[in-house]
Amino acid sequence: MSALRRALLVARRDLAAERRQPDGLVAALTFTVTLIFVESLAVGPGEARRPVIAAALFWIALLFAAILGATRSFERELEDDAIDAIVALEGGRDALFAGKALALAGSLAVVALVGGLLSLVLLDLDVALPLHLALALALGVAALPPVVVLDTLLALRLRARALLVPILALPVLVPQLIAATQGTAAALAGDAGASLGWSGLLVAFTLVYGVLGLTIVPVAAE
Amino acid sequence: MEPSAALRGATVVLDDRAILRNVDLDIAPGLTVVRGANGAGKTTLLRAIAGLAPLARGTRTASESPILVSHRTALLRALTPRENLAFFVAWRGLPPARVDGALVRWGLAALADRPLERLSAGERRRAALARLDAEDAGIALLDEPFSELDLDAGTLVRLAIERWTLERRAVVVATHGHPELDARAVRVLQVAGGSVTPA
Repeated sequence: MSALRRALLVARRDLAAERRQPDGLVAALTFTVTLIFVESLAVGPGEARRPVIAAALFWIALLFAAILGATRSFERELEDDAIDAIVALEGGRDALFAGKALALAGSLAVVALVGGLLSLVLLDLDVALPLHLALALALGVAALPPVVVLDTLLALRLRARALLVPILALPVLVPQLIAATQGTAAALAGDAGASLGWSGLLVAFTLVYGVLGLTIVPVAAE
Repeated sequence: MEPSAALRGATVVLDDRAILRNVDLDIAPGLTVVRGANGAGKTTLLRAIAGLAPLARGTRTASESPILVSHRTALLRALTPRENLAFFVAWRGLPPARVDGALVRWGLAALADRPLERLSAGERRRAALARLDAEDAGIALLDEPFSELDLDAGTLVRLAIERWTLERRAVVVATHGHPELDARAVRVLQVAGGSVTPA
């Protein structure tokens, strides 16, 4: 079986579990919606309508939602040591990383859709370049899971993982956060060149951390 | 090729304590019984064979991915027995029909579509054991396989071990009870003080 097929199997299994126990997705959605709402109030409606502020509020919320979603997904794996069964399989460790990242990207896409629509309505945002915005959102959603899943996997057997995962992930995710925010803000403001430039950077981040995860996880995940 | 696994000079250190020291072990078709007191390292030995315990020193080889059924089921509680088994069967590229056959064999046909979290501990353990039939596992590692099971399910396990050994699978059972297994075993090992020796 190909590595891609194995990763898709793990992703499908993860999404099936999420469908049956949607607490991770519900928590991420609730958190994102609340954070966008509270942040908008905190900076004030006038300020929050500025493209770069609106984009930053959205991506900060999504970043924490990614950590929340990954943490819940791996907690489910630890309940009955379900993760062991995958780790013991030939090619299981890289499939676990890639599959979890794919599944998290799927869940995050739902959160991004709801959070994005909420931001548009709540802040009454004008979208100058809808296709560029969709591209920046899709690539931003794809750029977060490799780092978050990698850090969650590495901290999995530690008691303080709930504390460690954000501490490990957030500094590494600053470049992605900046690129996603700037790419989204440029799409909102109508700067096609800048939006595509930042989107290209997001592709590079996704590839770098994807390869890094596939290299590190098979030797580091115990 | 017959299923086999081996440890060479394997040392496992957990929490700064050497649980296994310099263990040389060959697992071949037939029943291997592993005995030892509580905390002697039986579970760690099985996890080392399965590739789940990190080796501080030494090497591990296996002709295929072993299946370890331990105190915990290693199945996702959110999914049903059918969904859990279907995942592994698809992973190994086997026909999906094998899942139903395994579930029927382990008396889980009526519970096949109920999430694991709504099954009893014994039913969950039977679902975990059903993996061995669904996947046609060549190397089965069973850690106290009779615990949490009623008499009927215990009989199912005994019959399954007999069947698997007749099918030339490598079956390793770690237990501190069930002396009747020794008579059927091709080897009985004792784990004590970090060493694994013939009993």
